[in-house]
Amino acid sequence: MANFPPVDGSIQPHEPRDEDARPASGIEQSDLELVRRAQRGERGAFDLLVLRYQHKVIKLVARLLRDPTEAEDVAQDAFVKAYRALGSFRGDSAFYTWLYRIAVNTARNVMASRQRRPLDYEADLNESEQSAVESRMRHTDTPEAAVLSEEIHQTVNHAVEQLPEDLRTAIILREVEGLSYEEIAEAMDCPVGTVRSRIFRAREAIDRSLKPLLD
Amino acid sequence: MTDRINEQISAFLDGELPSGEIGLLARRMERDGELRRAFGSYVLAGEVLRSPGGITARPDFAARVSAAIDSSASESSGQAPLASRSSRWSRPALATAVAASAALAAVLLVRPDMRGGEDITAGNADPGAATLAAFPPGGASPTPAQSQRLAGYLVAHSQFASPIGRRNVWTGVLAADPGIARVAYDAVEAR
Repeated sequence: MANFPPVDGSIQPHEPRDEDARPASGIEQSDLELVRRAQRGERGAFDLLVLRYQHKVIKLVARLLRDPTEAEDVAQDAFVKAYRALGSFRGDSAFYTWLYRIAVNTARNVMASRQRRPLDYEADLNESEQSAVESRMRHTDTPEAAVLSEEIHQTVNHAVEQLPEDLRTAIILREVEGLSYEEIAEAMDCPVGTVRSRIFRAREAIDRSLKPLLD
Repeated sequence: MTDRINEQISAFLDGELPSGEIGLLARRMERDGELRRAFGSYVLAGEVLRSPGGITARPDFAARVSAAIDSSASESSGQAPLASRSSRWSRPALATAVAASAALAAVLLVRPDMRGGEDITAGNADPGAATLAAFPPGGASPTPAQSQRLAGYLVAHSQFASPIGRRNVWTGVLAADPGIARVAYDAVEAR
């Protein structure tokens, strides 16, 4: 897990500054565009940031709380706090770093209010602990949610298995391995534009399978 | 057309969309629920592929967050629910007009020597303080959205008062908080 700066339970007025200034990634730049729009009062832009980070924040909070039944409520609270503090975000750090810090603070406040021993947020859970937490999350949730979650996972994996080889390779290299379009183009020996198109077509195919479940 | 836009969304998600195309796409997605749905679906597929068997948000999570923000804004500003139901697109113009009124009132009511505001947010654990945390310390100008929110608050708390009472409410709020006074004063200066 990232090394978050010390927290005292409050939302800091400004995000930490990245001392070793590095060029912002494409995702950071697109986040920043959405943040700027939200800061100008465009709520729809913030909704897109929620869509992008909802799964990651819920997963983070579930691991910190060690009681995943409350993860969605606490994650929701974190997003509301982030929205209300958005004016203080200047772009010195990546938006997701700033958002994760608010999520960590929110989870810690919940743990403090329960007077539980807080988990050291800098200490990552090992793989088996993470798996146990996530497994518990899925089994303690409502039966309907557990079924839906299972169906979503099966549907996505089945859809990927059905993809033509070139689309499947492109989407796996992007989503699982995290390669950039340029790196994928090099690996697959094709133009960047082809990579972009293959990834999109793979997503469209998965989306067509998912849509009936999510509607 | 839709395929082209959805391909842009896919590239946007990966941080691979040229910066010149981001603004227009963001505007389209804000207006079009089907584009937002596709974006959410692409995000979900990626999460599932990265952590098979892991946790994912329920399909209505983002909508619940949006409703909670509306509810939170309504509670913290004391506005009637009608305010949060008003069109998202008509809000900016209305708020700008209100902000101008509030700023004018502030310049009439605030002494210039009140501009030396302090960081009023340090160590404040109250979630409500997050709104105040949005005002940058050190005299930086607030964003228009911040000014609008402040102005909305002032107006909402005095809209049913008599002119004399309204003046007293604004005077009280502004005098009690140099940080807020500075925001309103700077908003007028910036015009």
